[in-house]
Amino acid sequence: MNIQQYIESGIIETYVLGLASPSESAEFEQLCAQYPELVAARTKFEEGLEKHALANAEQLSTGVKVKVLEAIEDTASAGAGERVSLNPPKIVTMQNESKKGSSGWLRFVAAASVVLLIGLAWFSYQFYSQNSELQRSNTALQEKLNSTQGTLDKIVQEQSIVKDPNTTVVNMVGTKVAPRSSANVYWDSTNSNVYLVVKNMPKLPSDKQYQLWALIDGEKQPKDLGVFDAKDDKIILKMKDTKKAQAFAITIEKTGGSPSPTLDSMQALGKTLQSQ
Amino acid sequence: MGIPKIYNTEQELVLALKQRENQAFSTLYDNYAGALYSIIKQIITDNNELASDVLQEVFINIYRKIDTYDQTKGRLFTWMLNIARNASIDMLRSKSYQNSQKNQELPDNVYKGTANQSTQLNVDNIGLKKVLEKLKPEHRILMELAYFKGFTHEEIAEMMSIPLGTVKTRIRNALLQLREYLQ
Repeated sequence: MNIQQYIESGIIETYVLGLASPSESAEFEQLCAQYPELVAARTKFEEGLEKHALANAEQLSTGVKVKVLEAIEDTASAGAGERVSLNPPKIVTMQNESKKGSSGWLRFVAAASVVLLIGLAWFSYQFYSQNSELQRSNTALQEKLNSTQGTLDKIVQEQSIVKDPNTTVVNMVGTKVAPRSSANVYWDSTNSNVYLVVKNMPKLPSDKQYQLWALIDGEKQPKDLGVFDAKDDKIILKMKDTKKAQAFAITIEKTGGSPSPTLDSMQALGKTLQSQ
Repeated sequence: MGIPKIYNTEQELVLALKQRENQAFSTLYDNYAGALYSIIKQIITDNNELASDVLQEVFINIYRKIDTYDQTKGRLFTWMLNIARNASIDMLRSKSYQNSQKNQELPDNVYKGTANQSTQLNVDNIGLKKVLEKLKPEHRILMELAYFKGFTHEEIAEMMSIPLGTVKTRIRNALLQLREYLQ
């Protein structure tokens, strides 16, 4: 750029008198930073303009000065007021405002939160206790159902055995030792299955168990058909199989059973049709 | 107020103005109010009361905007001169001024009237307008419209029915002549 040519172009006057476009001004200011001679030329024109303006200044009455300075003071006090509340105090005011404004809001939100929290906690507790209660009752029901189902299954099984035409029912009655004892043996001689239903058998000490025996003709020893407890009352028990039996007998033996019956303690005896 | 404080340099004055020192504004008024009022009156030509109102507004603007004044961009007076010119042109375009100028309702008449007015008012002209008198008439009118009425080059080109390039060239030439007169 030929700076001298630029200086002579009239841009200085355009700029100084406020007639330059924004882009012209930007360019001029940028070039001023680069070219001291441009600044010097600008300053020269500015000084000429100022000198001329001062030389042609209008006389003003002192009343105008008072008015103008009063207006400035009004602006200053208004501005000071503004500044008082704009700078630290205004920040304080704004904080107060925001505190005041949001403190109500915050308080509301806080209160609402607490209420909500309590409500939520209450509901949670309600749901939790309701849930665990339901779980408990559900488990209880399940257990009950299981035992009922088990009982039912056994009854159904018992019924099916009882109703089976091949099944022989042997009614065992109490001996003199235990006159009130009674039990039924369901015996299917075709497949040798033996089932026992305890009707009434007295409770035994924990080291004793009842043992069922099959008395078979021609055999020296009664055949062991397994042990059972008195608490198996009314429930059909699957005992060991036997093809033959003239009679069934129940004795009291030590827990786990004995190889041969203690006949002294025979509690019940039932003869089969094979015995007749 | 005590003893008036003396500001030895413009820089000192500017600093005091930025500190919002009352004395600085009093000094500023004493030094420049007349010159600024002269410019205002060259724009608000026919209403001294409004011109005086504008002067007051100019000083309030100086007080408010002094922090934005950048010495690297020009002298303090140049900055104030532009504030005065802008405030005057704003007043010229304001409703209150328009209402006081009921005779000139049609814009075209305003433009024509402006041109005529400037010729007529040259007799009383002062300040920069006195310098304008020395310009060629076609330059003078353009300067009048651009500087004292605040019209853009485009607006002037339209209202004077001359090409934009011509407007720019003539204003540039007018400004260069102005510089010579001011030297």
